[in-house]
Amino acid sequence: MTDTTANLPGTARVLHPMTDAVPPSSAATQEATVKPIATALSDPKVSIKDVHFHYGAYHALKGITLPLQDHRVTAFIGPSGCGKSTLLRILNRIYELYPNQTVSGEVLVDGENILASGIDLNLLRAKIGMVFQRPTPFPMSIYDNIAFGIRLYEKLPKSELDDRVELALQRAALWTEVKDKLRQSGSGLSGGQQQRLCIARAIAVKPKVLLLDEPASALDPISTQRIEELIAELKADYCIAIVTHNMQQAARSSDFTAFMYLGELVEFGETERIFTHPKERRTEDYITGRFG
Amino acid sequence: MPPEHIMKSYDEELSRLNNMIVEMGGLAEAQLSSAIEAVAKRDSALAASVVEGDAQVDDLQRELDNLAIRLLALRQPMARDLREIFAALKIGADLERICDYAANVAKRSIALSQTPPIQPVHALPRMGTLALALVKDVIDAYVERDADKALEVWRRDEELDEMYSSLFREFLTYMMEDPRNIGACTHLLFMAKNIERIGDHATNIAEDLYYLVHGTPLTEVRPKGDKSSLEVVAPDRTAR
Repeated sequence: MTDTTANLPGTARVLHPMTDAVPPSSAATQEATVKPIATALSDPKVSIKDVHFHYGAYHALKGITLPLQDHRVTAFIGPSGCGKSTLLRILNRIYELYPNQTVSGEVLVDGENILASGIDLNLLRAKIGMVFQRPTPFPMSIYDNIAFGIRLYEKLPKSELDDRVELALQRAALWTEVKDKLRQSGSGLSGGQQQRLCIARAIAVKPKVLLLDEPASALDPISTQRIEELIAELKADYCIAIVTHNMQQAARSSDFTAFMYLGELVEFGETERIFTHPKERRTEDYITGRFG
Repeated sequence: MPPEHIMKSYDEELSRLNNMIVEMGGLAEAQLSSAIEAVAKRDSALAASVVEGDAQVDDLQRELDNLAIRLLALRQPMARDLREIFAALKIGADLERICDYAANVAKRSIALSQTPPIQPVHALPRMGTLALALVKDVIDAYVERDADKALEVWRRDEELDEMYSSLFREFLTYMMEDPRNIGACTHLLFMAKNIERIGDHATNIAEDLYYLVHGTPLTEVRPKGDKSSLEVVAPDRTAR
């Protein structure tokens, strides 16, 4: 394909991150700079399609369909018991650790249905990292907390492993705080640091998707802001889904918001619209604090 | 009305905000109405009371701003609540400005009443009455959260613009006919312009109300009837 716009006077040549090295037409470039979110919509990293979930006889998710965009943060909000954490647990099949839980529907990650039988769960959970409400450092050194996961999937020489551990800790904005005490126990860190350690552990194995289930709800405001800043930085590399009870946090840190209620997806859309003029009455009532 | 907030004090504060706008709206109507009456009756005492009354509106607007800032900081409003507060801030500013214009009309009417009455003065109260109706209707629309009613006001401003254009030409003619009219007509021109501006602020309020109700801004282009800024005086053609 020849680039017809490159030689036109006054036409800036802009590289398009979504389409590799193929230079876009100037109209498409303009579209991309004006509406980056809309242009990404066509190519979701994760497609959740008509997902139902049962805890025994309890119908916890009732036909959830929505996309998770790459390089975007999607927030899940809704009252306790609405199914948002359940949905997150389906995305890496953590639910299978418990008996009597069944799922139907499809979850496509890069086109592959991860709910299909024959999927390697260990590989899946490396590909789709998860961080929980309470920090869950392993009872081992800071270094080993990170190295543990990498060793499961790759055999690396010591120097390379060191590099990977450092890189993960740097990406999680923790390196400068722990670089002199890598051999100390991970549980000796503060709550906010432990949570960043867990994020570092998740990204050390090079996941495609990061699931964050109330990652800052047990943290003080400063640590919370560090986590939110980290989320903003990490979305350059990952597709991120976050469950939060903090509406301001959802508004601040996400690009898309999904409001769930009683196992249903009530409304999904760009965060800015959801928090300024939601379409659904139930969404409006929930985010303005009118929910009975 | 939407259901109540879980926190009752939030509802009370929002309702106070609403009441302050309604109170300011009532004051704006009263100020404008008195200003028009002062012009029509050449009543300097009434005009002076309008000029004095402006401070009350300024106080109310400061109070409104404080409450709105407080709500934004402490409640972190979302969706309709956010739009309520945003609209209140903007509408408050428009109402304050409407009152400024009313006070200005009143002030000039004092000077005007010291000159001999001239014919075109009678057109001014007619224009003022239309502006007053726009202000009144847009405040009613706010009370009822009626975006359609607001849209009507928004469209009717064109009529006020056209009235201003024709008055503008009339004043010019009077000035050219007899230079002794220039003093009075200059005051009248400014007064007519003030009243025309009041209509514009009423349309601003209509737009804010539309956004408050629908959550999206009004994107239509407003019909404009004021062509006076394009007028050229050509004495050789108009001189008799």
